Amino acid sequence: MADPGAASAPKPSSSVKLVLLGEAAVGKSSLVMRFVNNDFQENKEPTIGAAFLTQKCNLPTRTIKFEIWDTAGQERFASLAPMYYRNAQAALVVYDITKASSLIKAQHWVAELQRQASPGIVIALVGNKFDLASTTAPSDATSNGDDADATEEQDEEGAETDARKVPTKTAKAYADEEGLLFFETSAKTGMNVTEVFTAIANAIPETSLKGSRGVGGQTSLGRQEDSARVNLTSGRDAAGPNGGCAC
Amino acid sequence: METLDGTDWDVLIVGTGLQQSLLALALSRSGKKILHIDKNDYYGGAEAALSLQDAEVWASKIAECSSTSIFTNASISQYSQEESGSDVPKLSFSRAYSLALAPQLIYARSSLLPLLVSSKVYRQLEFLAVGSWWVYSPASGFDGLPSSPASADDISQSRGRLIKVPSGREDIFVDQSLDMKSKRALMKFLRFIAEYEEQSEVWESHRQTPFPSFLSEQFRVPAHFHGALMSLALSSSTSNHTTTEFALARIARHLRSIGMFGPGFGSVIPRWGGLSEIAQVGCRAGAVGGATYVLGKGLDGLQSLGAPQLVDGMTATNTPDGVAVRLKDGEAVTARWIAGSTDDLQPIASQESSGDGRTEQTATVPVICRSISVVASPLETLFPALAEGAPAPAGAVVVFASGSLSLSSDAESGAELPPVHVFVHSSDTGECPAGQSVLYTNVALGGEEGFALLDRAVQSLLHAVDIQPVPAVLWSLRYQQNYGSAPQFPQTCASPKTPSVKDPRVLEFGTASSDLAFDDSMLEEVKSVWQKIMGDEGGDFMVFEDREGTNADADDE
Ligand SMILES: Nc1nc2c(ncn2[C@@H]2O[C@H](COP(=O)(O)OP(=O)(O)OP(=O)(O)O)[C@@H](O)[C@H]2O)c(=O)[nH]1
Ligand SMILES: [Mg+2]
Repeated sequence: MADPGAASAPKPSSSVKLVLLGEAAVGKSSLVMRFVNNDFQENKEPTIGAAFLTQKCNLPTRTIKFEIWDTAGQERFASLAPMYYRNAQAALVVYDITKASSLIKAQHWVAELQRQASPGIVIALVGNKFDLASTTAPSDATSNGDDADATEEQDEEGAETDARKVPTKTAKAYADEEGLLFFETSAKTGMNVTEVFTAIANAIPETSLKGSRGVGGQTSLGRQEDSARVNLTSGRDAAGPNGGCAC
Repeated sequence: METLDGTDWDVLIVGTGLQQSLLALALSRSGKKILHIDKNDYYGGAEAALSLQDAEVWASKIAECSSTSIFTNASISQYSQEESGSDVPKLSFSRAYSLALAPQLIYARSSLLPLLVSSKVYRQLEFLAVGSWWVYSPASGFDGLPSSPASADDISQSRGRLIKVPSGREDIFVDQSLDMKSKRALMKFLRFIAEYEEQSEVWESHRQTPFPSFLSEQFRVPAHFHGALMSLALSSSTSNHTTTEFALARIARHLRSIGMFGPGFGSVIPRWGGLSEIAQVGCRAGAVGGATYVLGKGLDGLQSLGAPQLVDGMTATNTPDGVAVRLKDGEAVTARWIAGSTDDLQPIASQESSGDGRTEQTATVPVICRSISVVASPLETLFPALAEGAPAPAGAVVVFASGSLSLSSDAESGAELPPVHVFVHSSDTGECPAGQSVLYTNVALGGEEGFALLDRAVQSLLHAVDIQPVPAVLWSLRYQQNYGSAPQFPQTCASPKTPSVKDPRVLEFGTASSDLAFDDSMLEEVKSVWQKIMGDEGGDFMVFEDREGTNADADDE
């Protein structure tokens, strides 16, 4: 057992449950892949159901272990998300800056989170695919078939060479109004991806990492989360929890 | 939204209660095409965890009989907080609560825990320790409570005490209330029960003997200590209906579980609303495995035989290997297997038994009254630290042995009232905000009498905890849960069909367990349903590798 006072003692570590929500093909899985593996796939297949990943985030005074639930934007029956945002402490609501409808969908998700999720949940609004919006025309066409939609939309002034359909200030104004963190990212280039997760980690109130997370604003009893947690894999008895199934 | 009409599935799982959700987990790597539906718009079925607002909706649905048939008589009381001082915690907002409809504790030796580990979902769960057991001791003399309806004043004047049940031999040694002779008797009993299976000569002939008689006659355990030992058995029957055979097995399980996951405790509860959290984790695993989830959609009935439908190019009503059913909005789907609880499968229960079953068996069906109370105090005296290096306990158990509470009516009838069990959960469980706690009560007694006894238990507990001012109840929900196949229905509700599903492709889970501790036999049911579906191709039950991207070592710090 490490002596908490020893120089080599690890920083306090807590897990944070985070859920990604957003329309299909906006780049949720790509953002996670960039964050977890620092990797990008040009033709990522749609997520089926959901995916679960974990990644640590080192802050100066503590380590946050993200337990990430990446949901399927194609969710056909709007029944999956509730099982992920229940007790989640953070949500990343993603839209595609080249697709106006995806911001509308993102706003629906924000409203649903505010209505249904844990009261203290930290929400970040993320406009992805920033690389397509540079002043230089995007050289590579996206492969997700959104281009057809995109060109049907009313182009914004002077944006002919720019695939951007959602102005930064529109999204930023909305995020400010709702008290959300806001970032524009590119999973492709990696721009701002780590920053989003770090900002979320920093925004999680310290108290909610302790005894009573999910009850934002309440005074903590001062118990470290880990002092109450029972470790199921540390059974004393060799034939115990790690042993075979009894049935 | 898309329609399910005309879709075909390998497995249709109906309901997201614990068993169905564990089945979804067990099948999550099978490659089967799975549709998992629930008539409710939340997950967890009879094991759900509810916010205050959810609870309002849930209770009013039960009042309209439009919800599940296993619950009846639900009502909510919210207490005025005018008189409580400003420093007393107030009822917080709805979603600050996550109240468990089925607050079972899980013994460390339960086979559920190794399954959660081998299937890797334990990484998404947090378990907390259930610490001390307490027994209520009525004010000295007789029961002391006046037989008129309970008022807070009566109770405070005849205040009982909560006595901590010794959690081991060391505790017994230092216990001041026991003389040497009693200590020796208890020690002897504890030595016996550690290996009681091998000492059949001591108890075999007493299998059916009421446990208190066995304790007195075989071990000379003093009567005032029977309650403490009985409390460890978590028996919902009266002392005289608790057999030696039953009590020995349960007490042995309790004692043998202590220390398995750390010093000083032997059972755990999941954080965030009890078994509902495990059900959710099962469904999430199902979704990650590609199952389709649809809330707010239950079964409506079997697809009529007279109207064959084309489903995926086949005539589906009676396809050779599929069952055709109708879902709530009239969508017809087929599935090779259908699995669900008795309750969820009722719409497709066989037709011949659909007659009026209202009068059948009502007297013999087990009924439990439950209440959930939010208390404006952390009740910290009930959660003493367990031992060096032990986790902070988040649960405590308070037992009111049969006979320790009384109601005006039973004085006349003379019948012995069953014990009341109270699970006290601290805010560490995430079920309530800091500064508050939740009391889950349970008694095997139906109707108003059951509820009255529960109220009395709550008031007695709050007066006995030695906290001034006496902690207030901010909010409470009470309901009756009916176990068995023919629940007691109020006359206003339609009676259910007796579910005698005959089609071998329809796999039914029995009624939820009314036990206070998680009942491993429900896992056996899940396993046997899983086995039927998988045949010989199943491999080991719920043994999975971590999925890619789940950083396995990250947990082992
Ligand atoms: N140019 C560009 N393309 C991106 C970016 N992020 C994702 N993509 C592409 O967009 C497509 C969809 O990305 P995904 O990560 O699968 O999107 P998703 O939100 O997870 O989609 P669903 O799982 O269906 O909900 C893929 O072809 C990605 O390569 C980005 O930042 N820039
Ligand atoms: Mg995806």
